[in-house]
Amino acid sequence: MLDVFVLDRAPILERLGGDEEIFTMMIDMFQQDVDNNCATLIAALASGDPLLLQREAHTLKGLLATFSDDAGAERAFALEQKVKRGELAGLDAEVEILVARLREVAGVLAQA
Amino acid sequence: MHTVLIIDDSDINLTLIKALVMKLGECEAVLFANPLKALEWCRSNVPDLVIVDYMMPDMDGLKFISAFRALHGRDEVPILMVTANDQKDVRYEALLGGANDFLTKPIDRIEFSARARNMLSLRTGQKFLADRAQHLASLVDEQTREIRDREKELIFRMSRAAEFRDPETGAHIQRMAHYSQAIAIGLGLERAAQQLILEAAPMHDVGKIGIPDYILLKPGKLTVEEFEVMKGHARLGYELLKDSRSDILRAGAQIALTHHEKYDGTGYPRHLKGNDIPVFGRIVAVADVFDALTSERPYKKAWSLEDACRFLEDGRGKHFDPLCVEALLAEWNRVLDIRQRFQDEVVPMV
Repeated sequence: MLDVFVLDRAPILERLGGDEEIFTMMIDMFQQDVDNNCATLIAALASGDPLLLQREAHTLKGLLATFSDDAGAERAFALEQKVKRGELAGLDAEVEILVARLREVAGVLAQA
Repeated sequence: MHTVLIIDDSDINLTLIKALVMKLGECEAVLFANPLKALEWCRSNVPDLVIVDYMMPDMDGLKFISAFRALHGRDEVPILMVTANDQKDVRYEALLGGANDFLTKPIDRIEFSARARNMLSLRTGQKFLADRAQHLASLVDEQTREIRDREKELIFRMSRAAEFRDPETGAHIQRMAHYSQAIAIGLGLERAAQQLILEAAPMHDVGKIGIPDYILLKPGKLTVEEFEVMKGHARLGYELLKDSRSDILRAGAQIALTHHEKYDGTGYPRHLKGNDIPVFGRIVAVADVFDALTSERPYKKAWSLEDACRFLEDGRGKHFDPLCVEALLAEWNRVLDIRQRFQDEVVPMV
Protein backbone atom coordinates (compact mmCIF):
# COMPACT_ATOMS: atom_id res chain seq x y z
CA MET A 1 0.00 0.00 0.00
CA LEU A 2 0.99 3.61 -0.40
CA ASP A 3 1.62 6.12 2.33
CA VAL A 4 -1.28 8.41 3.00
CA PHE A 5 -1.33 11.39 0.67
CA VAL A 6 -0.69 14.67 2.40
CA LEU A 7 -1.09 17.85 0.39
CA ASP A 8 2.07 19.91 0.63
CA ARG A 9 1.16 23.25 -0.91
CA ALA A 10 4.59 24.82 -0.61
CA PRO A 11 6.51 22.91 -3.35
CA ILE A 12 3.49 23.03 -5.68
CA LEU A 13 3.08 26.76 -5.27
CA GLU A 14 6.81 27.22 -5.64
CA ARG A 15 6.70 25.47 -9.00
CA LEU A 16 3.78 27.70 -9.98
CA GLY A 17 5.68 30.81 -9.01
CA GLY A 18 3.37 31.34 -6.04
CA ASP A 19 0.39 31.69 -8.33
CA GLU A 20 -2.66 30.73 -6.21
CA GLU A 21 -5.00 31.29 -9.14
CA ILE A 22 -3.34 28.58 -11.24
CA PHE A 23 -3.10 26.32 -8.20
CA THR A 24 -6.84 26.57 -7.57
CA MET A 25 -7.59 26.04 -11.23
CA MET A 26 -5.51 22.86 -11.27
CA ILE A 27 -7.23 21.48 -8.20
CA ASP A 28 -10.62 22.09 -9.81
CA MET A 29 -9.52 20.37 -12.98
CA PHE A 30 -8.11 17.37 -11.15
CA GLN A 31 -11.42 16.86 -9.42
CA GLN A 32 -13.38 17.31 -12.63
CA ASP A 33 -11.19 14.79 -14.44
CA VAL A 34 -10.69 12.16 -11.73
CA ASP A 35 -13.63 9.94 -12.73
CA ASN A 36 -12.60 10.06 -16.33
CA ASN A 37 -8.94 9.34 -15.50
CA CYS A 38 -9.90 6.31 -13.40
CA ALA A 39 -12.22 4.99 -16.10
CA THR A 40 -9.58 5.46 -18.80
CA LEU A 41 -6.99 3.53 -16.77
CA ILE A 42 -9.40 0.66 -16.11
CA ALA A 43 -10.41 0.60 -19.78
CA ALA A 44 -6.75 0.51 -20.82
CA LEU A 45 -6.19 -2.54 -18.62
CA ALA A 46 -9.31 -4.21 -19.97
CA SER A 47 -8.29 -3.56 -23.57
CA GLY A 48 -5.24 -5.80 -23.18
CA ASP A 49 -3.24 -3.24 -25.16
CA PRO A 50 0.08 -2.82 -23.32
CA LEU A 51 0.97 0.38 -25.15
CA LEU A 52 -2.33 1.98 -24.15
CA LEU A 53 -1.87 0.97 -20.51
CA GLN A 54 1.73 2.19 -20.53
CA ARG A 55 0.65 5.55 -21.88
CA GLU A 56 -2.16 5.96 -19.32
CA ALA A 57 0.22 5.07 -16.50
CA HIS A 58 2.64 7.65 -17.87
CA THR A 59 -0.09 10.31 -17.93
CA LEU A 60 -1.09 9.56 -14.33
CA LYS A 61 2.54 9.70 -13.25
CA GLY A 62 2.74 13.29 -14.55
CA LEU A 63 -0.63 14.18 -13.08
CA LEU A 64 0.22 12.96 -9.58
CA ALA A 65 3.66 14.55 -9.74
CA THR A 66 1.99 17.87 -10.48
CA PHE A 67 0.49 17.69 -6.97
CA SER A 68 3.79 16.55 -5.50
CA ASP A 69 2.42 13.09 -4.83
CA ASP A 70 5.81 11.46 -5.16
CA ALA A 71 4.66 8.08 -3.86
CA GLY A 72 1.69 7.98 -6.25
CA ALA A 73 3.85 9.10 -9.17
CA GLU A 74 6.43 6.40 -8.34
CA ARG A 75 3.72 3.77 -8.34
CA ALA A 76 2.43 4.95 -11.71
CA PHE A 77 5.99 4.95 -13.04
CA ALA A 78 6.51 1.40 -11.75
CA LEU A 79 3.36 0.30 -13.61
CA GLU A 80 4.52 2.06 -16.76
CA GLN A 81 7.93 0.34 -16.62
CA LYS A 82 6.46 -3.04 -15.78
CA VAL A 83 4.20 -2.95 -18.82
CA LYS A 84 7.05 -1.66 -20.93
CA ARG A 85 9.17 -4.66 -19.90
CA GLY A 86 6.29 -6.96 -20.82
CA GLU A 87 5.60 -8.07 -17.26
CA LEU A 88 1.85 -8.29 -17.57
CA ALA A 89 1.07 -10.44 -14.53
CA GLY A 90 -0.67 -8.91 -11.54
CA LEU A 91 -1.55 -5.68 -13.27
CA ASP A 92 -5.13 -5.68 -11.94
CA ALA A 93 -3.90 -5.04 -8.42
CA GLU A 94 -1.53 -2.30 -9.57
CA VAL A 95 -4.32 -0.55 -11.45
CA GLU A 96 -6.62 -0.89 -8.46
CA ILE A 97 -4.03 0.76 -6.21
CA LEU A 98 -3.59 3.63 -8.65
CA VAL A 99 -7.33 4.18 -9.02
CA ALA A 100 -7.66 4.29 -5.26
CA ARG A 101 -4.77 6.74 -5.09
CA LEU A 102 -6.38 9.07 -7.61
CA ARG A 103 -9.59 9.12 -5.61
CA GLU A 104 -7.66 9.69 -2.38
CA VAL A 105 -5.79 12.65 -3.86
CA ALA A 106 -9.04 14.08 -5.20
CA GLY A 107 -10.56 13.78 -1.75
CA VAL A 108 -7.66 15.57 -0.10
CA LEU A 109 -7.68 18.29 -2.72
CA ALA A 110 -11.39 18.82 -2.14
CA GLN A 111 -10.56 19.81 1.45
CA ALA A 112 -7.83 22.22 0.37
CA MET B 1 1.57 39.27 -30.07
CA HIS B 2 3.03 35.76 -30.13
CA THR B 3 1.02 32.69 -31.02
CA VAL B 4 1.93 29.73 -28.83
CA LEU B 5 0.70 26.32 -29.92
CA ILE B 6 0.26 23.85 -27.05
CA ILE B 7 -0.33 20.17 -27.70
CA ASP B 8 -0.99 17.78 -24.82
CA ASP B 9 -3.56 15.03 -24.46
CA SER B 10 -4.03 15.91 -20.79
CA ASP B 11 -6.57 18.68 -20.19
CA ILE B 12 -4.98 19.66 -16.92
CA ASN B 13 -1.58 20.10 -18.58
CA LEU B 14 -3.14 22.10 -21.41
CA THR B 15 -4.80 24.39 -18.89
CA LEU B 16 -1.68 24.71 -16.78
CA ILE B 17 0.59 25.49 -19.72
CA LYS B 18 -1.94 27.93 -21.17
CA ALA B 19 -2.12 29.76 -17.82
CA LEU B 20 1.68 29.96 -17.72
CA VAL B 21 1.83 31.19 -21.31
CA MET B 22 -0.70 33.92 -20.57
CA LYS B 23 1.45 35.05 -17.65
CA LEU B 24 4.29 35.71 -20.11
CA GLY B 25 2.27 38.57 -21.62
CA GLU B 26 1.69 39.44 -25.29
CA CYS B 27 0.88 35.82 -26.08
CA GLU B 28 -2.17 34.00 -27.32
CA ALA B 29 -2.43 30.27 -26.78
CA VAL B 30 -3.85 27.78 -29.27
CA LEU B 31 -4.63 24.43 -27.61
CA PHE B 32 -4.93 20.97 -29.08
CA ALA B 33 -5.41 17.68 -27.21
CA ASN B 34 -5.00 15.81 -30.50
CA PRO B 35 -1.65 16.16 -32.31
CA LEU B 36 -3.15 15.26 -35.70
CA LYS B 37 -5.63 18.13 -35.44
CA ALA B 38 -2.78 20.41 -34.34
CA LEU B 39 -0.80 19.42 -37.41
CA GLU B 40 -3.82 20.20 -39.59
CA TRP B 41 -4.01 23.66 -38.00
CA CYS B 42 -0.29 24.15 -38.68
CA ARG B 43 -0.82 23.66 -42.40
CA SER B 44 -2.44 27.09 -42.61
CA ASN B 45 -1.02 28.78 -39.50
CA VAL B 46 2.53 29.45 -38.36
CA PRO B 47 2.92 29.57 -34.57
CA ASP B 48 5.75 31.46 -32.90
CA LEU B 49 6.39 28.69 -30.40
CA VAL B 50 5.29 25.07 -30.15
CA ILE B 51 5.01 23.33 -26.80
CA VAL B 52 4.38 19.64 -27.33
CA ASP B 53 4.06 16.68 -24.96
CA TYR B 54 5.95 13.51 -25.73
CA MET B 55 3.56 10.71 -24.94
CA MET B 56 0.22 11.14 -26.70
CA PRO B 57 -2.21 8.84 -28.50
CA ASP B 58 -2.28 8.70 -32.33
CA MET B 59 1.02 10.54 -32.73
CA ASP B 60 3.78 11.02 -30.18
CA GLY B 61 5.71 14.26 -29.77
CA LEU B 62 8.68 13.05 -31.82
CA LYS B 63 6.50 12.17 -34.80
CA PHE B 64 4.68 15.48 -34.45
CA ILE B 65 7.95 17.42 -34.52
CA SER B 66 9.10 15.52 -37.58
CA ALA B 67 5.82 16.15 -39.43
CA PHE B 68 5.76 19.80 -38.34
CA ARG B 69 9.32 20.43 -39.50
CA ALA B 70 8.46 18.90 -42.88
CA LEU B 71 5.84 21.61 -43.49
CA HIS B 72 7.06 24.45 -45.67
CA GLY B 73 8.38 27.43 -43.66
CA ARG B 74 8.16 25.67 -40.28
CA ASP B 75 11.79 24.60 -40.06
CA GLU B 76 12.84 27.42 -37.74
CA VAL B 77 9.84 27.76 -35.43
CA PRO B 78 11.09 27.03 -31.89
CA ILE B 79 9.78 23.85 -30.26
CA LEU B 80 9.74 23.06 -26.56
CA MET B 81 9.11 19.43 -25.78
CA VAL B 82 7.59 18.32 -22.49
CA THR B 83 9.15 15.11 -21.16
CA ALA B 84 9.64 13.26 -17.93
CA ASN B 85 12.99 13.31 -16.17
CA ASP B 86 13.70 9.67 -16.93
CA GLN B 87 13.28 10.01 -20.71
CA LYS B 88 16.86 10.86 -21.65
CA ASP B 89 16.74 8.71 -24.81
CA VAL B 90 13.61 10.55 -25.90
CA ARG B 91 15.35 13.87 -25.37
CA TYR B 92 18.29 12.90 -27.53
CA GLU B 93 15.95 11.73 -30.27
CA ALA B 94 13.92 14.92 -30.01
CA LEU B 95 17.03 17.09 -30.29
CA LEU B 96 18.07 15.26 -33.43
CA GLY B 97 14.50 15.49 -34.74
CA GLY B 98 14.26 19.28 -34.37
CA ALA B 99 13.23 20.16 -30.81
CA ASN B 100 14.98 23.27 -29.50
CA ASP B 101 14.58 22.77 -25.76
CA PHE B 102 12.75 20.75 -23.10
CA LEU B 103 10.42 21.16 -20.18
CA THR B 104 10.32 18.63 -17.41
CA LYS B 105 7.16 17.43 -15.70
CA PRO B 106 5.95 18.56 -13.27
CA ILE B 107 6.28 21.93 -14.93
CA ASP B 108 8.03 24.63 -12.95
CA ARG B 109 6.87 28.16 -13.65
CA ILE B 110 10.31 29.80 -13.30
CA GLU B 111 11.90 27.26 -15.62
CA PHE B 112 8.97 27.44 -18.00
CA SER B 113 9.04 31.23 -18.19
CA ALA B 114 12.78 31.37 -18.81
CA ARG B 115 12.75 28.73 -21.51
CA ALA B 116 9.60 30.01 -23.22
CA ARG B 117 10.90 33.60 -23.21
CA ASN B 118 14.21 32.43 -24.71
CA MET B 119 12.38 30.63 -27.47
CA LEU B 120 10.12 33.60 -28.17
CA SER B 121 13.15 35.92 -28.29
CA LEU B 122 14.70 33.57 -30.79
CA ARG B 123 11.51 33.72 -32.83
CA THR B 124 11.40 37.52 -32.66
CA GLY B 125 14.97 37.61 -33.93
CA GLN B 126 14.14 35.21 -36.75
CA LYS B 127 11.16 37.30 -37.83
CA PHE B 128 13.17 40.52 -37.64
CA LEU B 129 15.90 39.04 -39.83
CA ALA B 130 13.36 37.63 -42.27
CA ASP B 131 11.53 40.96 -42.52
CA ARG B 132 14.81 42.79 -42.91
CA ALA B 133 16.03 40.37 -45.57
CA GLN B 134 12.74 40.75 -47.43
CA HIS B 135 12.91 44.53 -47.13
CA LEU B 136 16.50 44.58 -48.38
CA ALA B 137 15.64 42.22 -51.23
CA SER B 138 12.79 44.48 -52.34
CA LEU B 139 15.09 47.52 -52.12
CA VAL B 140 17.71 45.74 -54.22
CA ASP B 141 15.03 44.74 -56.74
CA GLU B 142 13.81 48.30 -56.96
CA GLN B 143 17.32 49.73 -57.34
CA THR B 144 18.22 47.07 -59.91
CA ARG B 145 15.09 47.88 -61.89
CA GLU B 146 15.94 51.59 -61.79
CA ILE B 147 19.52 50.94 -62.93
CA ARG B 148 18.30 48.67 -65.72
CA ASP B 149 15.73 51.24 -66.83
CA ARG B 150 18.43 53.90 -66.83
CA GLU B 151 20.71 51.59 -68.80
CA LYS B 152 17.97 51.01 -71.39
CA GLU B 153 17.27 54.71 -71.65
CA LEU B 154 20.96 55.53 -72.08
CA ILE B 155 21.28 52.87 -74.77
CA PHE B 156 18.29 54.26 -76.61
CA ARG B 157 19.60 57.83 -76.37
CA MET B 158 23.09 56.76 -77.44
CA SER B 159 21.58 54.94 -80.40
CA ARG B 160 19.60 58.02 -81.31
CA ALA B 161 22.76 60.13 -81.08
CA ALA B 162 24.21 57.98 -83.85
CA GLU B 163 20.99 58.07 -85.84
CA PHE B 164 20.73 61.87 -85.55
CA ARG B 165 23.70 62.07 -87.85
CA ASP B 166 21.80 59.95 -90.31
CA PRO B 167 18.54 60.69 -92.08
CA GLU B 168 16.95 58.02 -89.92
CA THR B 169 14.63 58.58 -86.98
CA GLY B 170 13.98 57.41 -83.43
CA ALA B 171 10.97 55.57 -84.77
CA HIS B 172 13.27 53.54 -87.04
CA ILE B 173 15.23 52.38 -83.99
CA GLN B 174 12.06 51.40 -82.21
CA ARG B 175 10.61 49.61 -85.22
CA MET B 176 13.71 47.64 -86.15
CA ALA B 177 14.22 46.66 -82.48
CA HIS B 178 10.64 45.42 -82.24
CA TYR B 179 10.85 43.67 -85.63
CA SER B 180 13.98 41.95 -84.30
CA GLN B 181 12.06 40.82 -81.25
CA ALA B 182 9.19 39.61 -83.46
CA ILE B 183 11.64 37.51 -85.50
CA ALA B 184 13.14 36.12 -82.27
CA ILE B 185 9.62 35.15 -81.20
CA GLY B 186 8.97 33.56 -84.60
CA LEU B 187 12.21 31.59 -84.28
CA GLY B 188 11.12 30.34 -80.87
CA LEU B 189 14.08 31.84 -78.99
CA GLU B 190 13.83 31.92 -75.21
CA ARG B 191 11.93 34.80 -73.66
CA ALA B 192 15.14 36.26 -72.18
CA ALA B 193 16.74 36.29 -75.65
CA GLN B 194 13.62 37.95 -77.12
CA GLN B 195 13.91 40.70 -74.52
CA LEU B 196 17.69 41.01 -74.95
CA ILE B 197 17.51 41.57 -78.70
CA LEU B 198 14.77 44.16 -78.22
CA GLU B 199 17.05 46.11 -75.90
CA ALA B 200 20.31 45.57 -77.80
CA ALA B 201 19.20 45.99 -81.43
CA PRO B 202 18.95 49.81 -81.25
CA MET B 203 22.76 49.90 -81.00
CA HIS B 204 23.31 48.23 -84.37
CA ASP B 205 24.55 51.45 -86.05
CA VAL B 206 26.15 53.14 -83.04
CA GLY B 207 29.52 52.92 -84.80
CA LYS B 208 28.32 55.59 -87.26
CA ILE B 209 29.38 58.07 -84.60
CA GLY B 210 32.92 57.49 -85.86
CA ILE B 211 32.17 57.99 -89.56
CA PRO B 212 33.09 61.43 -90.97
CA ASP B 213 30.18 63.68 -91.89
CA TYR B 214 31.29 64.09 -95.51
CA ILE B 215 30.72 60.36 -95.98
CA LEU B 216 27.81 59.75 -93.62
CA LEU B 217 25.81 62.72 -94.87
CA LYS B 218 26.89 62.57 -98.52
CA PRO B 219 23.76 62.95 -100.61
CA GLY B 220 25.03 61.03 -103.61
CA LYS B 221 26.47 57.58 -104.12
CA LEU B 222 29.63 56.76 -102.14
CA THR B 223 32.88 56.02 -103.92
CA VAL B 224 34.48 52.63 -103.36
CA GLU B 225 36.93 54.20 -100.89
CA GLU B 226 34.17 56.08 -99.09
CA PHE B 227 32.10 52.91 -98.84
CA GLU B 228 35.07 51.10 -97.30
CA VAL B 229 35.21 53.82 -94.64
CA MET B 230 31.44 53.57 -94.16
CA LYS B 231 31.69 49.79 -93.66
CA GLY B 232 34.00 50.50 -90.74
CA HIS B 233 30.99 51.49 -88.61
CA ALA B 234 30.38 47.78 -87.87
CA ARG B 235 33.77 47.35 -86.22
CA LEU B 236 33.62 50.80 -84.62
CA GLY B 237 30.33 49.91 -82.96
CA TYR B 238 31.77 46.61 -81.80
CA GLU B 239 34.88 48.28 -80.34
CA LEU B 240 32.69 50.81 -78.56
CA LEU B 241 30.49 48.20 -76.87
CA LYS B 242 32.60 45.05 -76.46
CA ASP B 243 33.83 43.73 -73.11
CA SER B 244 31.03 45.46 -71.20
CA ARG B 245 29.73 43.92 -67.97
CA SER B 246 26.24 44.58 -69.30
CA ASP B 247 24.53 41.74 -71.16
CA ILE B 248 22.72 44.30 -73.29
CA LEU B 249 25.89 46.11 -74.35
CA ARG B 250 27.68 42.84 -75.11
CA ALA B 251 24.73 41.75 -77.27
CA GLY B 252 24.80 45.22 -78.88
CA ALA B 253 28.49 44.73 -79.71
CA GLN B 254 27.77 41.44 -81.43
CA ILE B 255 24.87 42.95 -83.37
CA ALA B 256 26.92 46.00 -84.41
CA LEU B 257 29.67 43.75 -85.75
CA THR B 258 27.49 41.23 -87.58
CA HIS B 259 24.32 42.93 -88.83
CA HIS B 260 25.86 43.59 -92.27
CA GLU B 261 27.05 40.03 -92.75
CA LYS B 262 25.13 38.16 -95.45
CA TYR B 263 23.99 34.57 -95.31
CA ASP B 264 25.95 33.62 -98.44
CA GLY B 265 29.19 35.09 -97.07
CA THR B 266 29.26 38.25 -99.22
CA GLY B 267 28.59 40.66 -96.35
CA TYR B 268 31.02 42.59 -94.17
CA PRO B 269 33.22 43.05 -92.19
CA ARG B 270 34.25 39.39 -91.78
CA HIS B 271 32.41 37.70 -94.65
CA LEU B 272 30.83 35.23 -92.28
CA LYS B 273 28.53 32.67 -93.82
CA GLY B 274 25.30 30.90 -92.76
CA ASN B 275 25.07 29.99 -89.11
CA ASP B 276 28.62 31.28 -88.49
CA ILE B 277 26.83 34.62 -88.28
CA PRO B 278 25.45 34.91 -84.73
CA VAL B 279 21.66 34.59 -84.66
CA PHE B 280 21.21 38.15 -83.37
CA GLY B 281 23.17 39.44 -86.38
CA ARG B 282 21.06 37.37 -88.80
CA ILE B 283 17.85 38.63 -87.17
CA VAL B 284 18.83 42.30 -87.17
CA ALA B 285 19.96 42.07 -90.80
CA VAL B 286 16.37 41.20 -91.80
CA ALA B 287 14.73 43.69 -89.42
CA ASP B 288 16.98 46.60 -90.41
CA VAL B 289 16.60 46.09 -94.15
CA PHE B 290 12.85 45.51 -93.88
CA ASP B 291 12.37 48.79 -92.03
CA ALA B 292 14.73 50.69 -94.32
CA LEU B 293 12.76 49.49 -97.35
CA THR B 294 9.34 50.28 -95.93
CA SER B 295 10.29 53.72 -94.56
CA GLU B 296 10.42 56.95 -96.46
CA ARG B 297 13.82 58.65 -96.60
CA PRO B 298 14.83 62.03 -98.07
CA TYR B 299 16.34 60.21 -101.02
CA LYS B 300 13.64 57.55 -101.57
CA LYS B 301 9.99 56.73 -101.18
CA ALA B 302 8.80 53.94 -98.91
CA TRP B 303 8.40 50.58 -100.58
CA SER B 304 5.06 48.85 -100.32
CA LEU B 305 4.88 45.97 -97.84
CA GLU B 306 4.38 43.52 -100.70
CA ASP B 307 7.51 44.72 -102.50
CA ALA B 308 9.52 44.63 -99.29
CA CYS B 309 8.35 41.09 -98.56
CA ARG B 310 9.25 40.02 -102.07
CA PHE B 311 12.70 41.52 -101.62
CA LEU B 312 13.20 39.57 -98.40
CA GLU B 313 11.95 36.36 -99.98
CA ASP B 314 14.22 36.82 -103.00
CA GLY B 315 17.11 37.37 -100.60
CA ARG B 316 16.54 34.15 -98.68
CA GLY B 317 19.72 32.10 -98.50
CA LYS B 318 21.64 34.93 -100.18
CA HIS B 319 21.46 38.09 -98.12
CA PHE B 320 19.20 36.71 -95.42
CA ASP B 321 18.85 33.65 -93.21
CA PRO B 322 15.74 31.92 -94.66
CA LEU B 323 14.49 31.04 -91.18
CA CYS B 324 14.62 34.68 -90.09
CA VAL B 325 12.64 35.77 -93.16
CA GLU B 326 10.05 33.07 -92.47
CA ALA B 327 9.89 34.09 -88.82
CA LEU B 328 9.17 37.72 -89.75
CA LEU B 329 6.42 36.68 -92.14
CA ALA B 330 4.99 34.27 -89.57
CA GLU B 331 4.68 37.18 -87.13
CA TRP B 332 3.00 39.44 -89.71
CA ASN B 333 0.23 40.73 -87.43
CA ARG B 334 2.86 41.74 -84.92
CA VAL B 335 4.81 43.49 -87.71
CA LEU B 336 1.75 45.52 -88.73
CA ASP B 337 1.13 46.47 -85.13
CA ILE B 338 4.73 47.68 -84.74
CA ARG B 339 4.44 49.81 -87.90
CA GLN B 340 1.31 51.35 -86.47
CA ARG B 341 2.77 52.00 -83.02
CA PHE B 342 6.07 53.58 -84.08
CA GLN B 343 5.49 56.11 -86.84
CA ASP B 344 8.13 58.51 -88.12
CA GLU B 345 8.37 61.92 -86.57
CA VAL B 346 10.18 64.97 -87.80
CA VAL B 347 13.71 64.82 -86.42
CA PRO B 348 16.07 67.74 -86.82
CA MET B 349 19.22 66.95 -88.73
CA VAL B 350 22.44 67.77 -86.90
